[in-house]
Amino acid sequence: MIEFQAVSKWFGSLKVIKEISATVDKGTTIVLCGPSGSGKSTLVRTVNRLEPIQEGTITVGGMDINAKSVNVNTLRTGIGFVFQQFNLFPHLTVVDNVMLPLRRIHQQSRKEALPAALLMLERVGLADKANALPADISGGQSQRVAIARSLMLKPEVLILDEPTSALDPEMVSEVLRLLRQLSGEGLTMMCVTHEMGFAREVSDRVWFLKNGKLTFNAQPELFFSSETHPDVRGFLSAIQKNH
Amino acid sequence: MLEIIRDYGLMLLIGEYPHGKLGGLALTLIISIVSLAVTFPCAVLIALARTAQSRPLKAVASGFVHCVRAIPLLMLIFWAYFALPMVIGFPIDATYTLIIAIVIYQTAYLGEIIAAGIKGLPNGQTEAAKALGLSYIPTTFRVILPQAIFNVIPGIVNQLTTIIKESSLGSIIAVSELSYVMLQVNSNEVTKPLQIFGILAATYFILCFALSQATNWLERRIANRRTGRVIVEAVA
Repeated sequence: MIEFQAVSKWFGSLKVIKEISATVDKGTTIVLCGPSGSGKSTLVRTVNRLEPIQEGTITVGGMDINAKSVNVNTLRTGIGFVFQQFNLFPHLTVVDNVMLPLRRIHQQSRKEALPAALLMLERVGLADKANALPADISGGQSQRVAIARSLMLKPEVLILDEPTSALDPEMVSEVLRLLRQLSGEGLTMMCVTHEMGFAREVSDRVWFLKNGKLTFNAQPELFFSSETHPDVRGFLSAIQKNH
Repeated sequence: MLEIIRDYGLMLLIGEYPHGKLGGLALTLIISIVSLAVTFPCAVLIALARTAQSRPLKAVASGFVHCVRAIPLLMLIFWAYFALPMVIGFPIDATYTLIIAIVIYQTAYLGEIIAAGIKGLPNGQTEAAKALGLSYIPTTFRVILPQAIFNVIPGIVNQLTTIIKESSLGSIIAVSELSYVMLQVNSNEVTKPLQIFGILAATYFILCFALSQATNWLERRIANRRTGRVIVEAVA
């Protein structure tokens, strides 16, 4: 579904992604973890061209996303993206946020888009908040709205960049519950997270990045076992200490 | 003072209308509102150019803003009044001349206010719109500008008070707005400048103070709405 071939990226003279090659199979969930500044967020942002790459190739569904013939907006409608800070539009109600892609990309009227938006809100358990403003709902609810909005155009891929990092601990579980549900429905997902319980339980593979390199790419059974990479072991014990 | 209001009150409000052109306070308000209405879309374009990624566009907009801000409005009015008819080859009504000068001048200032509103938005808002696959037009007009303009409404209203005050410069080119009318009254009643210009000052003060109060009220409403306090208060 998604293939990285020797992908490298620089910020100025600093090389932040170093020759990463890996594949995400259709319908699988990949969890990316690693220390801060390891390039996890930058890597997932390259998939929908929020960050350009300088070397290598990224293909999504067999299409080179950086090819000149690719319309970046069309590409992005097929790849849902969820941010750490939700990035809901504060001047729009919850349902208007969710409807926006249908209205402005599929050019649907409010009347046409409303049933689908309400159905999506029901799916994420927030139908009763449809008319609330983002300022009036909790962080966990905001993130669920952001996920609902990113799913409105039925993307084949969902990318989540630390979806629970800005949430209070009691709100993390409601978002993870939704992500488990989505993963079970066969959506291809790439999720940057430090929620190792989620990674162990839901992911098909865990990618460990360090200093811009994909240091370890393994199934969760191996990733969390004693046979794991020494860098991963250090990282996991550091996480355990902090919890 | 009451005597002057009694004798010249109607003239102060509408000038010589219906026997002559509309003037006085009514013309001041019309000039101010038309100027703001024309300035606003021009200022939005300047703000978009100032915050654009295209360097030439940014340079043109910056050049315009820096040039206009470096010259006095009075000079711009003189230029529009005396020089512009020579350039275009036909005379322009003094009222239109004043509006053109105010629009050019205020576009630079209001453009900077709106540009500040755009720059003040979190980068995540643009990124979220891009990530959804929205193109430039819906991102700008459905996501960025509604928020940016909403956040700078107090600044926009403040510019309206500035425009009201700037319209008084029309008296120099014989636009029969409020100040011009009061200058005429002063010519008739040569011994009462204190009262006449006292009334003029009070009229401008009432207009601008009312707008300032409206701005404060708007600011409070905006702050409440964005923090969700309105809902909390309503529930409580």
